[in-house]
Amino acid sequence: MINFRDDVLPLKNRLYRLALRITLDTLDAEDIVQETLIRVWNMREDFDKIDSIEAFSLTICRNLALDHISRKESQNEQLDESYDTTPDVASTPLQALLLEDKRSWVMKLFNELPEKQRSVMQLRDIEGKSYREIAQVLGFTEEQVKVTLFRARQHIRQEFEKIDNYGL
Amino acid sequence: MDYKYIEQLLERYWQCQTSVEEERILRDFFSQKEVPAHLQRYCALFAFEKNEEELHLGADFDRKILNRIEEPVVKARRNTIRFRLTPFYRAAAIVAVVLCLGLAAQHSFQNDTKQPGVSYNYAGYQDTYSDPQVALDQVSSALKTVSHGLRESGLHNVDSALVDGGNDDKM
Repeated sequence: MINFRDDVLPLKNRLYRLALRITLDTLDAEDIVQETLIRVWNMREDFDKIDSIEAFSLTICRNLALDHISRKESQNEQLDESYDTTPDVASTPLQALLLEDKRSWVMKLFNELPEKQRSVMQLRDIEGKSYREIAQVLGFTEEQVKVTLFRARQHIRQEFEKIDNYGL
Repeated sequence: MDYKYIEQLLERYWQCQTSVEEERILRDFFSQKEVPAHLQRYCALFAFEKNEEELHLGADFDRKILNRIEEPVVKARRNTIRFRLTPFYRAAAIVAVVLCLGLAAQHSFQNDTKQPGVSYNYAGYQDTYSDPQVALDQVSSALKTVSHGLRESGLHNVDSALVDGGNDDKM
């Protein structure tokens, strides 16, 4: 028997990180998690029909986050602006950067990936989910998840190699 | 120290051939302080991933959510408590009414026994005197007294009316 307080509420941080990865805004991400939890709460009558409450909640969260960014994009260019304001650390030699700067460079790499790759990276490399679970959340096949993850990792690898080769 | 294993893991990581467990080993390895120079550059990636895992919501988030979802429940529970008490309120009201009536009845009965009020049941009247002549004398004397009293008060009224009238004439 699924209990909201014990089984759903503890997912909040995982939901928050996924929403944050998609929206790139902490306040928006928090709102989305609230909305997600309220929606899951409203469906509590059907909890026993749900295979995995975690995958179910993550799916709702991702859909809400996608709705949110598409709404935001149609309203104005805020997302692009936020990209512009992040410091362009790649323009300085990586060796000279502090670890914190390297981290923000990696964050930029992460956040510049297409949304699907970003979400797959989030669920796999940060949340440690299996291909099966990720496929369930995103509504992909396991093969699609693997391909998406491969592209994301290859992109990150190439960016790392660029720095190695050109010092940029 | 031999880092072949880590290098192999890293290569398999890029090829998406590592398991979840192996990827955790990589994150743990790159989060420690002593990482060989040729692998150092990947610290940022895995340290970032490990760091992101720690991101969490504020402490008051649970309260916000629980407030939002439990509001209707608390309301409903309040309603049911009030609902459950309704028969008791009714019973209490009935008891109060019965008590009031009882007290009022008791009060009026006690009054009846102590000082009976005026009775209008003429059939229930009993003779006070056995001799009709004595009764007639008593009634006559009582009527005379009343008549005298009436006359006195009537005269007084006439006198005062006359005085008032005289005053009116003077004016």
